Amino acid sequence: MKPRFVETFVPPAATFLLTTAAAEFGIRAAGVSPLLLPTPSAVARAALQHAPTLLPALAMTAQAVAIGLALSIALGLLVAIALSTSRWVERAFYPYAIFFQIVPIVAIAPLLVIWFGYGMRAVVAAAFIVSVFPVIANSLAGLLSVDPALRDLFRLYGASGFARLWKLSLPWALPNVLTGLRIAAGLAVIGAIVGEFVGGGGLGVVVLEAMRQQRTDLVFAAVLHAAALGLALFAAVNATSHFALRRWHTQETEP
Amino acid sequence: MSAPEPTAAPTGVAVRVRGACRVFRSAGEADVVAVDGVDLSIAAGEFVAILGPSGCGKSTLLRMIAGLEPLDAGDLGFGAGGGAPKNALAYVFQDAHLLPWRDVLANVALPLELQGRASGERRDAALRAIAAVGLADAAQRHPAQLSGGMRMRVSLARALVTEPRLLLLDEPFAALDEITRQDLDDQLRALWAATGMTVLFVTHSIAEAAFLAERAVVLTRRPARVVLEHALDLPAQRDAALRGDARFAREMSVLYEALRRGNGKAA
Amino acid sequence: MSRLAASKRAVAIGMAALLAIPACGGEDAATRATAGKVALALNWKPEPEFGGLYEAQRMDAFAKRGITLELTGGPGAPVVQMVEAGKVEFGIAAADEVVLARDRGADIVAVFATYQTNPQGIMVHAARGLHSLADVFAAGGTLAVEPGVAYTKFFEKHYDLTKMKIVPYGYSIAPFLGDPTLAQQVFVTAEPIAARRQGADPQVFLIAESGFNPYAAVVITTGARARAETKRLADFVAALREGWRGYLDDPTLANALMGQLNKEMDADTFRLGAAAQQPLIEDAFAKQSGVGAMSLERWATLGRQLQELGLIGAAPAPRDCFVQVETLQSPPEPLR
Repeated sequence: MKPRFVETFVPPAATFLLTTAAAEFGIRAAGVSPLLLPTPSAVARAALQHAPTLLPALAMTAQAVAIGLALSIALGLLVAIALSTSRWVERAFYPYAIFFQIVPIVAIAPLLVIWFGYGMRAVVAAAFIVSVFPVIANSLAGLLSVDPALRDLFRLYGASGFARLWKLSLPWALPNVLTGLRIAAGLAVIGAIVGEFVGGGGLGVVVLEAMRQQRTDLVFAAVLHAAALGLALFAAVNATSHFALRRWHTQETEP
Repeated sequence: MSAPEPTAAPTGVAVRVRGACRVFRSAGEADVVAVDGVDLSIAAGEFVAILGPSGCGKSTLLRMIAGLEPLDAGDLGFGAGGGAPKNALAYVFQDAHLLPWRDVLANVALPLELQGRASGERRDAALRAIAAVGLADAAQRHPAQLSGGMRMRVSLARALVTEPRLLLLDEPFAALDEITRQDLDDQLRALWAATGMTVLFVTHSIAEAAFLAERAVVLTRRPARVVLEHALDLPAQRDAALRGDARFAREMSVLYEALRRGNGKAA
Repeated sequence: MSRLAASKRAVAIGMAALLAIPACGGEDAATRATAGKVALALNWKPEPEFGGLYEAQRMDAFAKRGITLELTGGPGAPVVQMVEAGKVEFGIAAADEVVLARDRGADIVAVFATYQTNPQGIMVHAARGLHSLADVFAAGGTLAVEPGVAYTKFFEKHYDLTKMKIVPYGYSIAPFLGDPTLAQQVFVTAEPIAARRQGADPQVFLIAESGFNPYAAVVITTGARARAETKRLADFVAALREGWRGYLDDPTLANALMGQLNKEMDADTFRLGAAAQQPLIEDAFAKQSGVGAMSLERWATLGRQLQELGLIGAAPAPRDCFVQVETLQSPPEPLR
């Protein structure tokens, strides 16, 4: 276990430290104005100095992302199940699911505020809209890829549609669902931030305020907080995937 | 793996196929006739091998008997007549096709679960079936931890767990190495002897057909028709030594001959 | 709605631009300088607030003085960054942005202040019977303002804003039209006129009423340029003054020109906007010292106020924030 840990974390940590150091010296040496590109140390200082603003904002954005993602998973999976029931249903309704993919969130965010009011609801809606399609698309692909022989097996023993869904299709599609979730997580953060630009609250507003007040270092700090949120979600999905699917794959060492 | 004690065996069910036809239609392409008027009469408890070249339609025929494919013409009767008796069929596929998220025990118990049996009953029956194929130690393992041969045995145990009266197998051991294959052949015959179920075994291996079956049905290449129905003149007790026997070679050449004829080549 | 898209774009452009700047900036400025070209980045679409600029261009006030002016930028453009990086010679910003930039270490100076009285205000529905900013905040409701603007902090300090729900202003008056208790930030030349056209009955309280009155639509440049190119700067400001004189006397032609570029505003709104902003541009001080002139006292006040609000560390010396450009009373000879 120990060498595994070292293997996983040392390379990215080393790269991070090297690039940060290079950026610090490079930016100082080039004499770039702090209004244009702040040094990593300036960003860190801003993060610490404004922690009383950044951390509650992060919590707010995280909350909106969590709710939005939960909705994406729940509704996305339901829609995928519905679409998987028949080719007709799929052909009739899939284009509407694609709508969620292509609608530019920046353009409809003001509409969301008009419909849901300022605050958390509009932000959750934005996070949901932006993250639901990957869940639908990937889950559907998984549900439609069920081993035909297994489908035959279930048919042979007279399994009901619900039994097939619960005992075969859904577990079968789990890897695909998790893949969709991996993509959805990052998108939900983007959606929430854009929602906050219009609906208020969270890191989105911190970014706008910092820009207006010529605090480029704070802008970077806020953006990094958002990135950390996305990264944490991504890691969480990966951990879930590893845990849930560990029995599925051939182990390297056989007893 | 010794032959298990004969239990109060479910009697095998007879199968009668008359003029079965199956045509695959696809838009814009020519119709493919897979099965073109096959007649088959299988007695209860018989072990019949269905032999034919690759792609001839033998799998399709088996699926029709299993109820997984419709008949476009002809009819199908079981036992005294009529449809397949409830819960009496089992099917073993070419690959094990296990559920990777379930352990061996849960995989084997699946058919009983789908039939709504109680969990205690399921567990006992599954453990029995696992023991019958010689995998008693592996009940908690997952498919990913098993070798190909072990996985096929789990598939076999799954098929047996409902104590079927008709067992259909579609080239189940084709992907395994020779030793494992022969091992499983022996095991299958022992299980058949113990249970008295009817067995229909599709294969393209003449040796396997000759070794396993009481009777072999040889099919032409596509579209499938019956070339030959041949009762194998071999002893009831089949062991490894039989494969080197002159009788075995003779039966094999009979089947080989029929195959060649069915494949459209001169005798 | 497009300002929001532009804001988002600005964040993206700003980020990308920040990273690309060290490579490109110097080149553009140098090549432009030799050719007498100058670029000016606007911070909004062509509207009456830039009337004098467009009029000056239209009447060749710049060309007469050997200046080829290129107008760029738009809603959400990171003007201060563009000037700081040397991508443009001039830009339009708010006076508080100048002080903030200086506090962050950038040498930005103001050379021309379009508005003597800040044209931003808070718009409410007249039916509510409010008489002042204090009334608005006492009454409660939603307040839609651009996040981060200094005057919000000023209000929080000098009034009790606890009853207000502060939300981002999305540059659309739709929420205002739909919510009778909503108060929003406006530019007197724009939103109130649009609201009236939509059948609402708006009432505007200028933020200047609170005592916070930074110059607005300020032309900025870098301190280095201001010190090095005094002649060019004097020519530029003189041309601009000429343009504003022309626009204040008769905005029709410039309005038509801007109307072509900004289809979202109709001729009537241009006319009404130009009229509404007149007293804010040419007050007693401007009449005496010239349109766009600035005073030390105003910059000193602004610096002190921003420091009290905690937005800057120490107030900058007022002298450093702006350059008072003296121009001739009579225009130079026309181009042959």
